[in-house]
Amino acid sequence: MFPVLQSNLPYLLQGAVYTVILSAIVVSCGTALGVGIGVLASVGGAILRSIITAYIFLFRGVPVLVIMFLGFYSFPALGLRLDAYTAVAISMIVYVGAFVAEATRGAIAGVPTGQTEAAKSLGMRKGKMMREIVLPQAMRLVIAPVLNISLMAIKQTSYASIVGAWELSFAAREVVERTLAAFQIFLGVMLIYFIICYPLSLAARALDKRLAFDS
Amino acid sequence: MDAFVIFFTRYLPAFADGFLITAGVAALAAPAALIWAIVLIIPRLAQWTWASRLVDAYVEVMRNSPLLVQMYLLYFGLPLLGLFWSSIVCGVIAIASQHGAFLSEILRSGIQSLSQRQWEAGSAIGMRRFAVIRLVILPQAFIKVLPALGNQLIVLVKDTSLVSAIGVMDLTLTGKMTIERSGASFEAFIAVAFFYLILTSTLGLVLRIIEVRAARRYG
Repeated sequence: MFPVLQSNLPYLLQGAVYTVILSAIVVSCGTALGVGIGVLASVGGAILRSIITAYIFLFRGVPVLVIMFLGFYSFPALGLRLDAYTAVAISMIVYVGAFVAEATRGAIAGVPTGQTEAAKSLGMRKGKMMREIVLPQAMRLVIAPVLNISLMAIKQTSYASIVGAWELSFAAREVVERTLAAFQIFLGVMLIYFIICYPLSLAARALDKRLAFDS
Repeated sequence: MDAFVIFFTRYLPAFADGFLITAGVAALAAPAALIWAIVLIIPRLAQWTWASRLVDAYVEVMRNSPLLVQMYLLYFGLPLLGLFWSSIVCGVIAIASQHGAFLSEILRSGIQSLSQRQWEAGSAIGMRRFAVIRLVILPQAFIKVLPALGNQLIVLVKDTSLVSAIGVMDLTLTGKMTIERSGASFEAFIAVAFFYLILTSTLGLVLRIIEVRAARRYG
C-alpha cells in the first residue's frame, strides 16, 4: 500500500535507532545534571543560587535549536573538535538540565515545611535532613514533570537534523529528497516518533492523575 | 569583546529584520493556535461523541510527534497537492496546529475543573447550552488556566525558530547566514540567543501582569 515507505523502512529504522540513543543519553544525563543542580540550588549559598537562577533563566528563555547551534559553533572555537551528534547531545543535556533543575527546585520547595521542622527538632543536620527527609519526598513530586520534560526532549532530538546530525528526521529528509514521497515518508516517520513517545506520554498522564489523587 | 561589538553593530540591521520576522511569525501563529484550540474543544462541549474521539486522536498525534516533522509534511507535502504556499504560511499552520492541540488540552483541563453547578446554574436561569458555554464556562476556564496558557505561548515563541528549517529568514536563520557570510562563529548565536531572551522575557513579563490583574479582578 505504501511502496516507498516499505522499501525505505530499514533505512528509517536505522535513523530511529540513532534518535533513541540520542534521546536516552540526553534524558538520562540531563535529568542527572538537572536534579544535581536543583539540589545545589536548595542547599547552596546566595551566590550559587543566583548563578543557578541565571542558568535556568537563560536556557529556558532560548529555543533549543539556538542552543544546539550555539554548541555546534562554540565547541570548535574552544578548541574541541566534536561531530554534530556529540555537539547536539551536549547542548541538549545542558538545555534539559535547566528544565529539570527548575522542576527539582520546585519539588523541593513543595515539600511541606512541617517535614523539615520535624527533622530539625529531632536534631538532624542539614545534609542528613536533605538526604533522608526532603529528597525522598521531593523525588516523588519530580517524576511527573521529568517525564513530561523527557517527552519534550525526545521530540526535540529531531531538531538535531537541522544542525546536521544524522538521525530519524535527517534520514526522512534524505529519503524525501530522493523519492519525493513526502506524505508516505513523513507520515511514516511521525508514526515512528509516536511509537517511541506514546508509552512515555501515557505514563506521564497516569502519574499526573495518581499524584493528583494522592494529594 | 571589541570584536564582538564591531560584529554586533555591523550585523544589527540583519538581526533586526530577523527579529521582526520571528515576532511576526509568533504574532500570526499565537492567535491562530488559540482559535484552533477553541474550535478543537467544541465537539467535546457539544457532546458529539465521534467528533470528540477524532479530536482526541488528533491531539495524541500532535502531542507525540515532533513539530519539525509536521512542518516538513506541510512544506514538502502541500505542493504535491497543487498548493504552493509560502514557507511562512506552512510554518504558521504547522505551529498553530500543534500548539492548538496543546492549548485545547489546557482549556479542557480548565473546563473540567469547573464545578458542575456552573452548568446547572446557567441552564436554571434559562440559558441555552451554547450561551452557558460562551458566557459562563469559557470565561471562567480561561481565567483559571491563564498561567498555563502563558507558559505555552512562550513555548510557541521558541518553537517559531523551526521555521528556519524550511527557509524563513527568521532570527535563527539570520544567525546561521551571518556565520556563513562573515566567518564569525558562535558570536552570531550569542546575539540570536540574546534577542530570543528579550522576546520571551518581555512576553513572560506581560503575561505575568495580565495574570495578576485577572486574579485581582476575577479571582
